[in-house]
Amino acid sequence: MKRSTAGILATLVLGMGIVSGCGGNDTKTVPSGNASGVVTIVAQTAGEEKTRVDNLVQAADELNKELKAEGKNVQVKVKTNDFQGSWDDYAKQFMLAFKANKAPDIYATGHENIGWLADGHYILPLDSLKNSKAYSDVFPTLWNAVTYKGKIWGAPQDTEARPVFYNKDILKKMGWTDQQINDLPVKVEKGQFTLDDMTKLAQEAQSKGLAQYGIVHRPVDGPDFSEFVYDFGGKLYDPAQNKIVFDKPAVAKQLNYFYEIAQKKLIPDHLTSMDWTSIHKTVVNGKTLFYYGGIWNVFNWSQGNYNDKLGKVDAKWVNQHFGMMLVPAAEKGGKPVTLSHPFVYTVSSQTKHADLVERLLELVAAPKYQVKHDLTTFHLPVTKSAAEDPAFKADVTLGNVSYMTNYTTFIPNLDKFPQYSKDVFNAIQAVELGKQTPDAAMKDLEVQLKNDLGNELEIVQ
Amino acid sequence: MPALIRKWKFPFLMLGPFMILIFLFFFLPVILIAVLAFTGMDSSMQWTFNGLENFKHLVSDPNLGVILKNTCLYVFFTLLINVFFGLILGILTTYFIQKESIGLLFRTLWMLPRISPPVVYVLLWLWFFDPSQYGVLNSFRAFLHVPPEKWLASNPMTAVILANGLVGASYGMIIFSSAIKSIPGELIQAARVDGAFHWAMIQDIIIPAVRWPLMFVTLWQLLSLLTSYDYILLLTNGGPLYSSEVLALYSYHKAFENFQYGYGSALAFILVGIALVMTTILWKIFGMNKLMGSSRIE
Repeated sequence: MKRSTAGILATLVLGMGIVSGCGGNDTKTVPSGNASGVVTIVAQTAGEEKTRVDNLVQAADELNKELKAEGKNVQVKVKTNDFQGSWDDYAKQFMLAFKANKAPDIYATGHENIGWLADGHYILPLDSLKNSKAYSDVFPTLWNAVTYKGKIWGAPQDTEARPVFYNKDILKKMGWTDQQINDLPVKVEKGQFTLDDMTKLAQEAQSKGLAQYGIVHRPVDGPDFSEFVYDFGGKLYDPAQNKIVFDKPAVAKQLNYFYEIAQKKLIPDHLTSMDWTSIHKTVVNGKTLFYYGGIWNVFNWSQGNYNDKLGKVDAKWVNQHFGMMLVPAAEKGGKPVTLSHPFVYTVSSQTKHADLVERLLELVAAPKYQVKHDLTTFHLPVTKSAAEDPAFKADVTLGNVSYMTNYTTFIPNLDKFPQYSKDVFNAIQAVELGKQTPDAAMKDLEVQLKNDLGNELEIVQ
Repeated sequence: MPALIRKWKFPFLMLGPFMILIFLFFFLPVILIAVLAFTGMDSSMQWTFNGLENFKHLVSDPNLGVILKNTCLYVFFTLLINVFFGLILGILTTYFIQKESIGLLFRTLWMLPRISPPVVYVLLWLWFFDPSQYGVLNSFRAFLHVPPEKWLASNPMTAVILANGLVGASYGMIIFSSAIKSIPGELIQAARVDGAFHWAMIQDIIIPAVRWPLMFVTLWQLLSLLTSYDYILLLTNGGPLYSSEVLALYSYHKAFENFQYGYGSALAFILVGIALVMTTILWKIFGMNKLMGSSRIE
């Protein structure tokens, strides 16, 4: 008996040793002031937008010149990685790499991940970067996206807008003049064209047989759905308490909206089980009047063969056939919204070259790198100087939407926010599929959120 | 004592490496899950022990009811297909198809989905159930001028059970067919001489002969089904909503999608408990100790 008890205890100790032994949370950052020779800095990103890390390689050339001029015997080499897979897997991969002491020095990610990255001591605070010259003209609102518990944890890399794409061809067939079509974004901006007007217009297009669907939105959970809470006058985050807010009146309106468009058959009845390819094909082939998209979709449509006749379509084609507007205000005269999801560079707390990484991030913030990335992948710059760049201003797509930054909102970067977002998405799915009424979905959602978020939830009645 | 050591030295030497492997890869994970179940480990991967917090959370989890119901439905019906369809396949390919080469070919074909990667196999099912008019099922409907049906969204559990049941039946098929093959030929011939029909043959000779394999396959498949979720993950990912989410998949989602490693482990720990209880019950019902006991003939 004694031997078996000892065996179990030994196993426990061994097991915990194995797991905790993998952890390297307390790795101290070694300043590389005395580093010599070639220093390799690993930078990682995910998805198709590889300029996020390729720009760092070019910035490293500049840094090397500077270091040489300073007479230092150190050269920087940037090794880039790009991850192909889901965002969940991207996060998981970073956690495991960190535990194995192999975390990349620079980890590019969505700003909403800052909460758990900071809480888990995975990344270094970057307050000094905020005070640097390179980041002095960042749009002030973007600092909110990288601030967590009073510190700056990431360098803003890019931002974007989530416009509603409207199909100009369908509106033309409905008898709209070119002037009226081009003025729609202005009417939306002034609050003259509301969410309700958008629904009515979608119904009209569909009833006249000019569009198969009135409205299409993303098929899976994502930040887009949160912009409706702001549109209905609600809030998602209480900075004083550092809690996620369940704004019941606004969320009820949010659910009612999706219930209404589903009941009116304006959306495909299996929208939340469609894949992205079908979504893009539906939009690009003119089967829907409105599409809640993202400005980067212009890049996606130029990469994949989504158009039945043309295959890939370029930005010029997109601008001929689609207009882009803000999400209309919920009430006449109200303020329209959009939501940004800034991408940020975070610095691993395991990096051995924090000072060189910081200098690299300052160099990569130069307008030329931002503009190159923004023009290739259809994102918006993070600094005013980059927004003033003539090449950027001349771009037909980006030039049309850069004003949207004035109406932008963000999702909170608390670690539990993805859970909130998933729960709300489930409720939206339930009302869209007709499995629940908005009232029933609200009741279940409250129970679910209380259970999932516990003390981190604040309920606004 | 030295005699005892001498007696056990050789068996221990032979079994030692396997014992170590079993300990490392079977016992250690269970122990780790048990320990993790009492922590609040999340994305920061810190060992913060929180007592029974995860289990309290589990009891109040509004999804638990529907997930347990789904798990029961999934395990019961898939098991039914696994065992009975496996038995039918076994009888078909050994008793009704007497020519061994044809029976073997048929069994090999049925094994193909098991040896092909789940992603490929699931892709076929996704094509079969595709909600557009181009899906296999919907193209039949289109032929009859019936609008397409969103099969996976409206009947996710049926799709999951069918996909898992059919691929799982191959395991039972192999075990049963080898058991049927081992029935002495004289027994079958004598029954034929006595004028027994197919049904009597199956009922009185084949079924009693495969009694132990039948119980073993049931128990084995039950345990696998309780913890398997790969086909569900690829086919429906537990949705829409929670309509095809089972306990094992929920544990995966909580641990690896929401990064609630502690809570995910608590769910997995419950699963280990359920598996142990089910094994004990079935062991007793089937009288499996007789199977393991020494032969009474000797």
